[in-house]
Amino acid sequence: MRDALRQQLIYLQKPASLAEELAALPLGVSAVDNALGGGLLCGAMHEITAASEAHLPAATGFTLGLAALANGNKHLVWIAEDMALTESGVPYSAGYEAFGLPPERFIIVAVAHRHELMTAMEEALRCRAVGAVLGEVRNGSLDAVAVRRLSLAASDSGTLAFLLRAKPSHDASTAATRWTVQTAPSVIPGQREFGGPRFAVHLTRNRRGPSASWILEWRNPDDRFVLATHAEPLAAPLRHRPYQKVA
Amino acid sequence: MLSLWLPRFATDRIRRLRDAASVSHEHLPLVVTGKRGNADILIAIDEAAEQLGLSAGMALAQARAMHPTLDIVPEDARADGELLESIADWCLRYTPLVACDAPDGLLLDISGCAHLYGGEHELVADLGRRLTEAGFAFRIAIASTIGAAWAAAHDGRPDTYANGDERDFLAPLPLGALRLPPPVVASLVRVGLKTIGDIIDLPRSPLTARFGAGLLRQLDRALGREHEPLTPRLPVAPYVAEKRFHEPIAREEDVLGTVEKLAARLAVALERRGDGARRIELTLFRTDGALRRIAAGTARPLRDAADMRALFAERLATLADELDPGFGFDMARLSVLIAEPAPAEQIGMGSADDTGEMVRLIDRLSARLGAQRVRRAVAQDSHIPEIAAVTLPAQMTMKDDGWVAYNRHRSAVELAPRPLRLLSRPEPIEAVAEVPDGPPLRFKWRRALHDIVAAEGPERIEGAWWQEENVEASPSGNRTRDYFRVEDKSGHRFWLFRAGLYRDLVPGTAPPSWFMHGMFG
Repeated sequence: MRDALRQQLIYLQKPASLAEELAALPLGVSAVDNALGGGLLCGAMHEITAASEAHLPAATGFTLGLAALANGNKHLVWIAEDMALTESGVPYSAGYEAFGLPPERFIIVAVAHRHELMTAMEEALRCRAVGAVLGEVRNGSLDAVAVRRLSLAASDSGTLAFLLRAKPSHDASTAATRWTVQTAPSVIPGQREFGGPRFAVHLTRNRRGPSASWILEWRNPDDRFVLATHAEPLAAPLRHRPYQKVA
Repeated sequence: MLSLWLPRFATDRIRRLRDAASVSHEHLPLVVTGKRGNADILIAIDEAAEQLGLSAGMALAQARAMHPTLDIVPEDARADGELLESIADWCLRYTPLVACDAPDGLLLDISGCAHLYGGEHELVADLGRRLTEAGFAFRIAIASTIGAAWAAAHDGRPDTYANGDERDFLAPLPLGALRLPPPVVASLVRVGLKTIGDIIDLPRSPLTARFGAGLLRQLDRALGREHEPLTPRLPVAPYVAEKRFHEPIAREEDVLGTVEKLAARLAVALERRGDGARRIELTLFRTDGALRRIAAGTARPLRDAADMRALFAERLATLADELDPGFGFDMARLSVLIAEPAPAEQIGMGSADDTGEMVRLIDRLSARLGAQRVRRAVAQDSHIPEIAAVTLPAQMTMKDDGWVAYNRHRSAVELAPRPLRLLSRPEPIEAVAEVPDGPPLRFKWRRALHDIVAAEGPERIEGAWWQEENVEASPSGNRTRDYFRVEDKSGHRFWLFRAGLYRDLVPGTAPPSWFMHGMFG
């Protein structure tokens, strides 16, 4: 009896993101992949936060890019609260297609309450046909227990879970990574031509490596991220942080 | 066919209300009055009033003159109608075929259902007992036609069971029992024809010539020479399974267990005909007469009992507080409202493919959140962005959702970039442009000023000029739109448009205006 409980405790304590057997999803940018220890961890939750509400479209684009890398021929489920869809706009099929996501494999779920968002995410994460689940949270804090359940559900099924947040928050989280995304100018100064979508991303929390910042560009026809070349790098230098050991 | 008549419906309703509110009141004779033409007349009276010699149809002034102490209540046709509807709902426990016989009766098609209660007498006894408990005076008759049952309930001996001897028992009844308009009855009486027996054997053509075709049609229907269809209040489900409980059930597990048992019975029937359920309804009958209807839709034809149970588990979870079993449910019915032919391999829990998994996820989420909330995009054949962005409930299945054709078209034509997020309604912005028809230099949206560094466009999209200008639907109306993709100093990328062209500007019309429509990633 006690052994069984202990087993269960170990299972509950095991941080989902540190499980050894989980696969990593390389972004294809060596600098990022090295910092992430091989790539974005599948079967874990990743929190992607817009630097401010104005940067939410950029954060959305970055998240969809990551989801597209993972997608394969599975479905993507986007779950958002009604308010978020009204204020920040609804996903537009012709637009996310540019991120390499086929619209016919895209399910949009509108929920009225936060707890519905959490349960719907968990349900979607446990479905084998789903490759990535994106939950959009406009503001407010999250229930730590629900977030933890999401991490566990993700690690059980190996599905990618994204929490897209419109504002930075400081609540404790079991996310494997936390990113803050800003939009970056795609237009080369002096010229008047558009480049691909550019994101200034700050990896602020990384369980398997250091935190860092990059400017990434999404290349549309080949559907991948590249390091932006013509832009000035962000001022913040790479900050190394010792690997976190968990007892 | 069972005809139920509630002869004191209006007064019984008022008495019930007062009893429920436990208003202390003297038992004065109760009359319900209303205006007919210019006169206030008695519409309904209770037993006490009838014993005083009053009758429905009498003028109110006359009744008052006869008996100054009357309890007079104005009629409320809407409340009467609602109560009749709820009694009809409640009668669904006997048969799914229930029709309202306004203003104060019901018709039930109990053929094939009576044996579930042990026979017609037992069914009538059960119905009568419950109506008495509820405080209604009633008269019930069963006959093989609607007309005969109605006549027997209204004008014959109550509790009649006529099966085959309609002719004999109809003969002594007055002609009003045939549901004829009063003027026809009056003119028949004028020539000395008072009972149904008087006209039953008369030559048909003179009767028709003098009193119209309606008279013989009603007679034929009552005698079963002509079929009279019953129009049920609710559509009849193609598949139904039901279960009665001697001991009422109240716990959710018991309800779900019942669902699974009933679903297993439905599955057999569905399989025999090669159908699957697209919409299922669970009806729970509470002991006190209230009933709950819970429906769930599916994305694919469904036949598996465990899947059906899972669907209702989701639905019940969302209404847990509303289910309110009271003293328990004494009957449950599971009906397939919409069935569709289903190939065998699509069905069952065992299927391992991802499509099945996805369908189950969509069903579960739709059951919990509502089908309107789980959506997916469809390719719309429209150049107007709002229409092209339309999404449909994910449960709706279509032969072709348009993506094949869309992808073919897309690979052939270079399409202008589209934003990642589209505002459901374009939002007006204040913009300054260098030249009237050019892109804006700066604009103000949601109280923030944006200086534009680069702009692409215009992409001209003609409005739906064939439609009426509808400012409600879209603030920009049906005007031609020039879309621009712009990037501001800090790198935000927007999709905005100018509605209307300066060259089309005529005095008196609204000048072109700018709108924000979407954001790029």
